[in-house]
Amino acid sequence: MSQPKSNRASVGSVQCENTTLNLLKANDFVAKAIKDKLLSHNILVLNVCSSPGSGKTTLMQETGKRLKNKLKLGVLVGDPETERDAIRIREAGIDCLQIVTGGMCHIEAQMILQALDHFDYKDLDILFIENVGNLVCPAAFDLGEDYRITLIATTEGDDKPKKYPRMFLTSELMVVSKSDLLPHVPFSIDAVTKDAREINPDLDVISISSLNGEGLDQWCNWLQEKVKQKKSQ
Amino acid sequence: MHEISLVRNIFKTLEAEFPDTYQNIRNIYLTAGELSNVQPILMKNAFDAVILDEPKYAKTILHVEVLPVIIYCDDCNQKTPVIQYKFICSICNKPSKNVIQGEELLISKVEFEK
Repeated sequence: MSQPKSNRASVGSVQCENTTLNLLKANDFVAKAIKDKLLSHNILVLNVCSSPGSGKTTLMQETGKRLKNKLKLGVLVGDPETERDAIRIREAGIDCLQIVTGGMCHIEAQMILQALDHFDYKDLDILFIENVGNLVCPAAFDLGEDYRITLIATTEGDDKPKKYPRMFLTSELMVVSKSDLLPHVPFSIDAVTKDAREINPDLDVISISSLNGEGLDQWCNWLQEKVKQKKSQ
Repeated sequence: MHEISLVRNIFKTLEAEFPDTYQNIRNIYLTAGELSNVQPILMKNAFDAVILDEPKYAKTILHVEVLPVIIYCDDCNQKTPVIQYKFICSICNKPSKNVIQGEELLISKVEFEK
Protein backbone atom coordinates (compact mmCIF):
# COMPACT_ATOMS: atom_id res chain seq x y z
CA MET A 1 0.00 0.00 0.00
CA SER A 2 1.28 3.48 -0.86
CA GLN A 3 2.10 5.90 1.90
CA PRO A 4 -0.88 8.10 2.82
CA LYS A 5 -0.65 11.76 1.95
CA SER A 6 -0.09 13.41 5.28
CA ASN A 7 1.98 15.91 7.19
CA ARG A 8 4.24 14.18 9.66
CA ALA A 9 5.19 16.15 12.75
CA SER A 10 6.68 14.95 16.00
CA VAL A 11 4.92 16.08 19.15
CA GLY A 12 6.80 14.96 22.27
CA SER A 13 6.96 11.21 22.10
CA VAL A 14 4.10 10.88 19.67
CA GLN A 15 4.08 11.07 15.94
CA CYS A 16 1.11 12.81 14.32
CA GLU A 17 -0.58 11.90 11.10
CA ASN A 18 -2.99 14.49 9.77
CA THR A 19 -5.38 12.59 7.55
CA THR A 20 -8.71 12.91 5.82
CA LEU A 21 -9.94 9.36 6.09
CA ASN A 22 -13.63 9.37 5.22
CA LEU A 23 -15.54 6.83 7.29
CA LEU A 24 -18.28 6.53 4.69
CA LYS A 25 -15.82 6.13 1.82
CA ALA A 26 -16.61 2.44 1.42
CA ASN A 27 -20.34 3.13 1.15
CA ASP A 28 -19.87 5.99 -1.32
CA PHE A 29 -17.62 3.77 -3.45
CA VAL A 30 -20.29 1.06 -3.63
CA ALA A 31 -23.01 3.67 -4.35
CA LYS A 32 -20.98 4.73 -7.38
CA ALA A 33 -20.76 1.07 -8.47
CA ILE A 34 -24.57 0.84 -8.30
CA LYS A 35 -24.92 3.95 -10.46
CA ASP A 36 -22.48 2.50 -13.00
CA LYS A 37 -24.31 -0.83 -13.06
CA LEU A 38 -27.69 0.82 -13.71
CA LEU A 39 -26.46 3.57 -16.03
CA SER A 40 -27.08 1.90 -19.37
CA HIS A 41 -30.62 0.82 -18.40
CA ASN A 42 -32.00 4.36 -17.74
CA ILE A 43 -33.77 3.25 -14.56
CA LEU A 44 -35.10 5.94 -12.24
CA VAL A 45 -33.87 4.94 -8.77
CA LEU A 46 -35.78 6.40 -5.82
CA ASN A 47 -34.75 6.02 -2.18
CA VAL A 48 -37.97 6.26 -0.12
CA CYS A 49 -37.42 7.21 3.53
CA SER A 50 -39.66 7.97 6.51
CA SER A 51 -40.36 7.13 10.14
CA PRO A 52 -41.82 3.66 10.78
CA GLY A 53 -45.53 3.49 10.05
CA SER A 54 -45.92 6.58 7.88
CA GLY A 55 -47.21 4.57 4.94
CA LYS A 56 -44.30 3.74 2.62
CA THR A 57 -45.46 0.20 1.87
CA THR A 58 -49.10 1.21 1.43
CA LEU A 59 -47.97 3.93 -1.00
CA MET A 60 -45.97 1.31 -2.94
CA GLN A 61 -49.11 -0.85 -3.19
CA GLU A 62 -51.26 2.05 -4.38
CA THR A 63 -48.59 3.15 -6.85
CA GLY A 64 -48.51 -0.37 -8.24
CA LYS A 65 -52.29 -0.44 -8.76
CA ARG A 66 -52.21 2.85 -10.67
CA LEU A 67 -49.00 2.57 -12.69
CA LYS A 68 -48.25 -1.11 -13.28
CA ASN A 69 -49.84 -1.05 -16.74
CA LYS A 70 -47.93 2.09 -17.73
CA LEU A 71 -44.53 1.57 -16.15
CA LYS A 72 -42.42 -1.40 -15.10
CA LEU A 73 -41.90 -1.05 -11.35
CA GLY A 74 -39.65 -2.87 -8.92
CA VAL A 75 -39.15 -2.50 -5.18
CA LEU A 76 -36.28 -3.41 -2.89
CA VAL A 77 -37.64 -3.14 0.63
CA GLY A 78 -35.48 -3.02 3.74
CA ASP A 79 -36.54 -4.00 7.24
CA PRO A 80 -34.63 -5.14 10.29
CA GLU A 81 -36.64 -8.40 10.27
CA THR A 82 -39.46 -10.30 8.42
CA GLU A 83 -40.64 -10.49 4.79
CA ARG A 84 -44.03 -8.96 5.51
CA ASP A 85 -43.61 -5.80 3.44
CA ALA A 86 -42.37 -7.70 0.39
CA ILE A 87 -45.42 -9.98 0.54
CA ARG A 88 -47.76 -6.97 0.64
CA ILE A 89 -46.01 -5.29 -2.29
CA ARG A 90 -46.01 -8.48 -4.41
CA GLU A 91 -49.76 -8.81 -3.76
CA ALA A 92 -50.12 -5.47 -5.54
CA GLY A 93 -48.46 -7.03 -8.60
CA ILE A 94 -45.02 -5.43 -8.29
CA ASP A 95 -41.74 -7.35 -8.35
CA CYS A 96 -40.23 -7.01 -4.92
CA LEU A 97 -37.24 -8.33 -3.02
CA GLN A 98 -36.97 -8.07 0.76
CA ILE A 99 -33.67 -6.95 2.22
CA VAL A 100 -33.48 -8.13 5.82
CA THR A 101 -30.92 -5.87 7.43
CA GLY A 102 -30.50 -8.11 10.46
CA GLY A 103 -31.34 -5.45 13.00
CA MET A 104 -29.56 -2.61 11.24
CA CYS A 105 -31.26 0.78 11.30
CA HIS A 106 -30.56 1.68 7.66
CA ILE A 107 -29.78 0.16 4.25
CA GLU A 108 -26.16 0.41 3.08
CA ALA A 109 -25.12 0.52 -0.54
CA GLN A 110 -23.51 -2.94 -0.30
CA MET A 111 -26.93 -4.47 0.48
CA ILE A 112 -28.40 -2.95 -2.69
CA LEU A 113 -25.52 -4.10 -4.86
CA GLN A 114 -25.93 -7.66 -3.55
CA ALA A 115 -29.72 -7.54 -3.94
CA LEU A 116 -29.38 -6.53 -7.60
CA ASP A 117 -27.70 -9.89 -8.27
CA HIS A 118 -30.96 -11.58 -7.28
CA PHE A 119 -33.42 -9.17 -8.87
CA ASP A 120 -34.47 -8.79 -12.48
CA TYR A 121 -33.99 -5.03 -12.80
CA LYS A 122 -32.86 -4.61 -16.40
CA ASP A 123 -36.24 -3.63 -17.93
CA LEU A 124 -37.48 -1.52 -15.02
CA ASP A 125 -38.63 2.07 -15.43
CA ILE A 126 -38.54 2.78 -11.68
CA LEU A 127 -36.62 0.98 -8.95
CA PHE A 128 -37.94 2.00 -5.56
CA ILE A 129 -35.75 1.38 -2.54
CA GLU A 130 -38.03 1.39 0.49
CA ASN A 131 -35.60 2.19 3.28
CA VAL A 132 -35.79 1.13 6.92
CA GLY A 133 -38.22 3.34 8.84
CA ASN A 134 -35.88 5.88 10.44
CA LEU A 135 -35.27 9.58 9.71
CA VAL A 136 -31.73 9.67 11.13
CA CYS A 137 -29.28 7.05 9.87
CA PRO A 138 -30.56 6.46 6.30
CA ALA A 139 -29.81 10.14 5.58
CA ALA A 140 -26.07 9.45 5.70
CA PHE A 141 -26.00 6.53 3.26
CA ASP A 142 -26.04 7.16 -0.49
CA LEU A 143 -27.59 4.13 -2.22
CA GLY A 144 -26.83 5.29 -5.76
CA GLU A 145 -30.31 6.78 -6.12
CA ASP A 146 -31.38 9.58 -8.45
CA TYR A 147 -33.63 11.11 -5.82
CA ARG A 148 -34.50 10.68 -2.20
CA ILE A 149 -38.17 10.95 -1.25
CA THR A 150 -39.24 11.48 2.35
CA LEU A 151 -42.71 10.68 3.65
CA ILE A 152 -44.10 12.40 6.70
CA ALA A 153 -47.50 11.34 8.03
CA THR A 154 -49.96 13.88 9.40
CA THR A 155 -50.02 11.82 12.61
CA GLU A 156 -46.30 12.44 13.21
CA GLY A 157 -46.52 16.17 13.84
CA ASP A 158 -45.44 18.97 11.54
CA ASP A 159 -42.22 19.66 13.45
CA LYS A 160 -40.23 16.79 11.90
CA PRO A 161 -38.19 18.66 9.23
CA LYS A 162 -36.34 20.82 11.77
CA LYS A 163 -35.71 17.79 13.98
CA TYR A 164 -34.25 15.70 11.17
CA PRO A 165 -32.73 18.36 8.91
CA ARG A 166 -30.31 16.21 6.94
CA MET A 167 -33.07 13.96 5.63
CA PHE A 168 -35.04 16.92 4.30
CA LEU A 169 -31.91 18.70 3.03
CA THR A 170 -31.10 15.76 0.79
CA SER A 171 -34.64 14.99 -0.43
CA GLU A 172 -36.14 16.02 -3.76
CA LEU A 173 -39.73 15.48 -2.67
CA MET A 174 -41.61 15.48 0.62
CA VAL A 175 -44.81 13.43 0.57
CA VAL A 176 -47.26 14.32 3.34
CA SER A 177 -49.19 11.09 3.86
CA LYS A 178 -52.48 10.26 5.62
CA SER A 179 -54.03 13.56 4.53
CA ASP A 180 -57.46 12.03 5.21
CA LEU A 181 -56.68 12.50 8.92
CA LEU A 182 -56.00 16.25 8.63
CA PRO A 183 -59.40 17.23 10.14
CA HIS A 184 -58.58 15.16 13.24
CA VAL A 185 -54.93 15.94 13.98
CA PRO A 186 -53.06 19.17 14.82
CA PHE A 187 -50.94 19.17 11.65
CA SER A 188 -50.47 22.07 9.27
CA ILE A 189 -49.28 21.42 5.71
CA ASP A 190 -48.31 25.10 5.44
CA ALA A 191 -46.19 24.89 8.61
CA VAL A 192 -44.43 21.67 7.59
CA THR A 193 -43.78 23.04 4.10
CA LYS A 194 -42.39 26.32 5.48
CA ASP A 195 -40.03 24.51 7.88
CA ALA A 196 -38.89 22.02 5.26
CA ARG A 197 -38.24 24.74 2.66
CA GLU A 198 -36.14 26.72 5.15
CA ILE A 199 -33.85 23.69 5.05
CA ASN A 200 -34.31 22.89 1.37
CA PRO A 201 -35.83 25.65 -0.77
CA ASP A 202 -36.11 23.41 -3.85
CA LEU A 203 -38.15 20.69 -2.11
CA ASP A 204 -41.30 19.54 -3.94
CA VAL A 205 -44.27 18.84 -1.67
CA ILE A 206 -47.22 16.54 -2.42
CA SER A 207 -50.00 15.71 0.01
CA ILE A 208 -51.60 12.27 -0.37
CA SER A 209 -53.96 9.79 1.20
CA SER A 210 -53.47 6.15 0.22
CA LEU A 211 -56.82 5.44 1.89
CA ASN A 212 -59.09 7.75 -0.12
CA GLY A 213 -56.79 8.35 -3.10
CA GLU A 214 -56.39 12.08 -2.63
CA GLY A 215 -53.19 13.40 -4.24
CA LEU A 216 -52.22 10.07 -5.77
CA ASP A 217 -52.70 11.37 -9.32
CA GLN A 218 -50.29 14.19 -8.55
CA TRP A 219 -47.81 11.64 -7.08
CA CYS A 220 -48.10 9.40 -10.16
CA ASN A 221 -47.63 12.43 -12.45
CA TRP A 222 -44.49 13.39 -10.52
CA LEU A 223 -43.13 9.88 -11.01
CA GLN A 224 -43.98 9.79 -14.71
CA GLU A 225 -42.38 13.20 -15.25
CA LYS A 226 -39.16 12.05 -13.53
CA VAL A 227 -39.13 8.84 -15.61
CA LYS A 228 -39.48 10.93 -18.77
CA GLN A 229 -36.57 13.16 -17.69
CA LYS A 230 -34.46 10.09 -16.91
CA LYS A 231 -35.13 8.50 -20.32
CA SER A 232 -34.20 11.69 -22.14
CA GLN A 233 -30.87 12.07 -20.35
CA MET B 1 -27.86 4.78 16.47
CA HIS B 2 -25.15 2.93 14.60
CA GLU B 3 -22.27 4.19 16.73
CA ILE B 4 -20.92 0.68 17.31
CA SER B 5 -20.63 0.05 13.58
CA LEU B 6 -19.05 3.49 13.13
CA VAL B 7 -16.42 2.60 15.73
CA ARG B 8 -15.72 -0.69 13.96
CA ASN B 9 -15.48 1.31 10.73
CA ILE B 10 -12.87 3.55 12.35
CA PHE B 11 -10.75 0.52 13.22
CA LYS B 12 -11.18 -1.03 9.76
CA THR B 13 -10.23 2.25 8.10
CA LEU B 14 -7.12 2.71 10.25
CA GLU B 15 -5.99 -0.89 9.79
CA ALA B 16 -6.26 -0.49 6.02
CA GLU B 17 -4.43 2.86 6.03
CA PHE B 18 -1.69 1.99 8.53
CA PRO B 19 -1.33 -1.81 8.23
CA ASP B 20 2.07 -1.94 9.94
CA THR B 21 1.66 0.68 12.64
CA TYR B 22 -2.00 0.79 13.68
CA GLN B 23 -1.20 -0.99 16.94
CA ASN B 24 0.82 2.06 18.04
CA ILE B 25 -2.11 4.45 17.65
CA ARG B 26 -2.88 6.20 20.93
CA ASN B 27 -5.16 9.08 19.94
CA ILE B 28 -7.79 9.20 17.21
CA TYR B 29 -9.35 12.54 16.27
CA LEU B 30 -12.73 12.29 14.62
CA THR B 31 -14.21 15.28 12.84
CA ALA B 32 -17.98 15.08 12.53
CA GLY B 33 -20.13 17.69 10.80
CA GLU B 34 -23.31 18.66 12.61
CA LEU B 35 -25.36 16.99 9.85
CA SER B 36 -23.64 13.63 10.33
CA ASN B 37 -25.85 13.07 13.39
CA VAL B 38 -22.85 11.94 15.43
CA GLN B 39 -23.11 12.72 19.14
CA PRO B 40 -19.65 12.89 20.78
CA ILE B 41 -20.72 11.32 24.10
CA LEU B 42 -22.46 8.40 22.35
CA MET B 43 -19.44 7.82 20.10
CA LYS B 44 -17.12 7.76 23.10
CA ASN B 45 -19.36 5.33 24.98
CA ALA B 46 -19.52 3.07 21.93
CA PHE B 47 -15.75 3.32 21.56
CA ASP B 48 -15.20 2.29 25.19
CA ALA B 49 -17.59 -0.64 24.71
CA VAL B 50 -15.94 -1.88 21.52
CA ILE B 51 -12.37 -1.74 22.86
CA LEU B 52 -13.37 -4.21 25.59
CA ASP B 53 -13.45 -6.76 22.73
CA GLU B 54 -10.44 -5.24 20.95
CA PRO B 55 -7.60 -5.23 23.48
CA LYS B 56 -5.15 -3.94 20.87
CA TYR B 57 -6.91 -0.56 21.14
CA ALA B 58 -7.05 -0.59 24.96
CA LYS B 59 -4.60 2.32 25.21
CA THR B 60 -6.29 4.37 22.51
CA ILE B 61 -8.47 7.43 23.13
CA LEU B 62 -11.13 8.78 20.78
CA HIS B 63 -11.57 12.54 20.47
CA VAL B 64 -14.62 13.88 18.66
CA GLU B 65 -14.94 17.39 17.28
CA VAL B 66 -18.28 18.56 15.89
CA LEU B 67 -18.16 21.15 13.10
CA PRO B 68 -21.03 23.58 12.50
CA VAL B 69 -22.82 23.73 9.15
CA ILE B 70 -21.46 26.34 6.75
CA ILE B 71 -22.97 27.22 3.38
CA TYR B 72 -21.59 29.19 0.45
CA CYS B 73 -23.59 31.97 -1.18
CA ASP B 74 -23.01 32.39 -4.94
CA ASP B 75 -24.29 35.96 -4.92
CA CYS B 76 -22.18 37.26 -2.04
CA ASN B 77 -19.22 34.90 -2.62
CA GLN B 78 -19.25 34.40 1.14
CA LYS B 79 -19.29 31.48 3.53
CA THR B 80 -21.90 31.87 6.25
CA PRO B 81 -23.00 29.67 9.15
CA VAL B 82 -26.39 27.95 9.20
CA ILE B 83 -28.32 28.97 12.31
CA GLN B 84 -31.19 26.77 13.50
CA TYR B 85 -31.15 24.84 10.24
CA LYS B 86 -32.18 27.83 8.13
CA PHE B 87 -30.18 27.28 4.96
CA ILE B 88 -30.07 30.94 3.95
CA CYS B 89 -27.14 33.31 3.46
CA SER B 90 -26.84 35.42 6.60
CA ILE B 91 -25.85 38.45 4.50
CA CYS B 92 -28.46 38.52 1.71
CA ASN B 93 -30.98 35.91 2.99
CA LYS B 94 -30.86 33.99 -0.30
CA PRO B 95 -31.48 30.24 0.16
CA SER B 96 -28.45 28.05 -0.48
CA LYS B 97 -27.99 24.27 -0.38
CA ASN B 98 -24.31 24.57 -1.14
CA VAL B 99 -23.04 22.97 2.08
CA ILE B 100 -19.26 23.34 2.32
CA GLN B 101 -18.94 22.12 5.89
CA GLY B 102 -21.17 20.05 8.15
CA GLU B 103 -21.70 16.74 6.34
CA GLU B 104 -18.23 15.26 6.87
CA LEU B 105 -17.33 12.26 8.97
CA LEU B 106 -13.56 12.02 8.93
CA ILE B 107 -10.63 10.76 10.90
CA SER B 108 -8.71 14.04 10.79
CA LYS B 109 -5.64 13.09 12.84
CA VAL B 110 -4.08 10.09 14.52
CA GLU B 111 -1.21 10.07 17.00
CA PHE B 112 1.16 7.14 17.31
CA GLU B 113 3.36 6.18 20.22
CA LYS B 114 6.91 6.10 18.98
